[in-house]
Amino acid sequence: MVTKTFKGGTHPPERKERSASTPIQTLRNVSQVVIPVNQHFGAPIQPLVKVGDQVKRGQKIADADGRMTVPLHASVYGTVKKIEPRMQANNLEGLAIVIEPLPGDEAVFMPTLDPFSCTKEEALARVREAGIIGVGGAGFPAHVKFAPPPNKPIEYVIANAAECEPYLTIDERVMEEHPEDFIDGIAIVMKIVGATKGIVGLEDNKTHLVPGLEKAIAAKRSGMDIRVQLLRTKYPQGGEKMLITAITGREVPSGGLPMDVGCVVSNVNTLLAVSEAFRKGQPVIDTGLTVTGGACETPKNLFVPVGMLVQDLFPDVARYDEKKLKRIVMGGPMMGPAVPSMLVPIQKNTSGVLLMDETEAKAYGEGPCIRCGRCMRACSCRLSPALLNVALKAGDLDEADKIGVMDCIECGTCSFVCPSHIQLVQRFRVGKQLVRAKKQKEAQRAGK
Amino acid sequence: MPANNMLLSSSPHVYTGVTPRKLMLSVIIALSPVSVYGVVLYGVHALLVIVVSIATAVLSEAAFRAVTKQDVRIGDLSAVVTGLLVALISPPSVPLWMVALGSFAAIVLAKEFFGGLGANPFNPALIGRAILLMSFPAAMTTWHVPFKGLLDATTGVTPLNVVKMGGTIADVGAGFVQNSLSSVPDYSSTLWTLFVGNRAGCIGESSILLILVGFIFLLALRVVSFITPLAMVGTAFLASWLLGMDPVFGILSGGLLFGAVFMATDYSSSPVTPLGKAIFGAGAGLITVIIRRFGGYPEGVTYAILIMNAVAPFMDKLRVKKYGFVPPAKPVAKEAAK
Repeated sequence: MVTKTFKGGTHPPERKERSASTPIQTLRNVSQVVIPVNQHFGAPIQPLVKVGDQVKRGQKIADADGRMTVPLHASVYGTVKKIEPRMQANNLEGLAIVIEPLPGDEAVFMPTLDPFSCTKEEALARVREAGIIGVGGAGFPAHVKFAPPPNKPIEYVIANAAECEPYLTIDERVMEEHPEDFIDGIAIVMKIVGATKGIVGLEDNKTHLVPGLEKAIAAKRSGMDIRVQLLRTKYPQGGEKMLITAITGREVPSGGLPMDVGCVVSNVNTLLAVSEAFRKGQPVIDTGLTVTGGACETPKNLFVPVGMLVQDLFPDVARYDEKKLKRIVMGGPMMGPAVPSMLVPIQKNTSGVLLMDETEAKAYGEGPCIRCGRCMRACSCRLSPALLNVALKAGDLDEADKIGVMDCIECGTCSFVCPSHIQLVQRFRVGKQLVRAKKQKEAQRAGK
Repeated sequence: MPANNMLLSSSPHVYTGVTPRKLMLSVIIALSPVSVYGVVLYGVHALLVIVVSIATAVLSEAAFRAVTKQDVRIGDLSAVVTGLLVALISPPSVPLWMVALGSFAAIVLAKEFFGGLGANPFNPALIGRAILLMSFPAAMTTWHVPFKGLLDATTGVTPLNVVKMGGTIADVGAGFVQNSLSSVPDYSSTLWTLFVGNRAGCIGESSILLILVGFIFLLALRVVSFITPLAMVGTAFLASWLLGMDPVFGILSGGLLFGAVFMATDYSSSPVTPLGKAIFGAGAGLITVIIRRFGGYPEGVTYAILIMNAVAPFMDKLRVKKYGFVPPAKPVAKEAAK
């Protein structure tokens, strides 16, 4: 099989071996859940329950009208204790629903729905009602992604199985343990968007999964063209744009979306959720994640109820060395935010909890840019990080925009390779906001 | 209750471990074969020149930064590289005070005045050499035959000088045989002698073989890009050939290859974009040949690179097309005048 890839990128140490062979463990018993109401990208939604209400597992607890919204469901059977702002994984406070479990497990799921005989509208409504968001990144509502306008025909459904972030192994485990459901999810999405090709984009450090996936594809007998495409193990191979380019040779136009080049890209766990929404009627109430890191003594792959606090994982589920623990990261080490404490909830799009020790989590001061050009070679979007850095430091937003700061996917490769430890990607994040604000202001002025 | 004093920082949380110090160290390692060979060719004085030059560079950087109340960062080893380079592009008999002056000028005038590491618009070592060349033209162009010590009786001429004075490559070969640097004066053994580096010249510039060893080392560690040296040497080859000079001789003699590998690739004073690097290298190669052919000096690498340094910032505008580049919509063509 030909291994494909994109230009640029880097290869951080994978450190996946500690958790890669640990079977997924499903947790049901938790002492509480803190479910942030707005976990999706789009318009805010409102709680449908009050303090004191009893809710069943799978019951809808928040929703709103509007296209860019997805509903939220209770992840445990229990009593609503509080509805108040709480710290979230992105280090911001947001409204959260706190539920204390009751003994037993009462669940309400939706009726099952056959994705291949229902209408497209029914299928999209099901995806929305199940509260499915893209778990790979920003939490984009899946039903919006699966409903491109008619002038954007979709040719490819690409399953993002690269899992290019170091440490994380949950996608790998899902594909190993639930290949049929995963492939079923791809077939369903292909049906919804009318795609002719389904492709599993798999990094070549996981070739051992190929036989299992191909067996699942053969057993599916969907008559659909689904195949596995090996990709070079390289960060950020799982970036949406990089994945599309590696597989199809197409480039998502600047400012555009994957649908502009006939692609829909979904993460492994999103596709699993799609399958479960139809086959079991189950909404998104569990999150698959990897708990690992140098300070974690018992690396695990887990399915936990959405809203479980990181601190409740310890010491019953996993153990860590308190003396070694220096940094907690929600997600992978390249893009995940560091959080100040373990009092943050695991969200729908949390792919990992890293407990990093001193040797892993070094903190450096910024040195001067020596113009070595390493960031220029590594940038996955072929931007010029060194030059962007100069422009943004000088406050030249026009120049930064011209170089392409708005096209930065914030993968962090530039900061990773920078010998002077310049916080390049952080400066670009801020720069993007400044450029956006400036454009808004100009548009307003022009409108007057 | 778990700890609350966690390290907070923005992602990414992991790094390659490459630091400016390691990059500079690899340049020093790449320069060590030519440095050692310079001492082999010219003896203990060459070693003293190297040591004094490095020491002056490091001390002047530390002193300047201390006096101007900036953090002293000689630990990044960039001053060592600059000092070493100044020594390697000096003639072997250069007085120690003179090379110290050049090193001081390189660090203080060319580098620290402009903001230090990464901020110097011109190659510091070449500025040091240019100042010495203009201030002390006699001392800076006194050459010695290798393996014969640095007595007055052993002064020689560089191969490029021979050609500049109207000589031919056969004359260069005859000179090699006369000084028992080569056994036969034919064309191929002359070129071989040049390749090995047994000819009069600066301390570190002569051995093409060892420069290539350093270059391959730097390429393997991806410390420098191949684009600039290739463009510079390739253009010099073409230009020499077009101007009726022997292109192979031109590359094997003088400081062209040393300049292309160790000077034109200076991070700070050369462009960072691939196309910028290519044009920078090509320009430096072209100017070198023009100076050699039409200028008053037999060698032009120093000024060629310094001239290109001046235009390098503009070449950073020549960026690679970004991912997903969409050409800006062309303004609707104005209807032809009615």
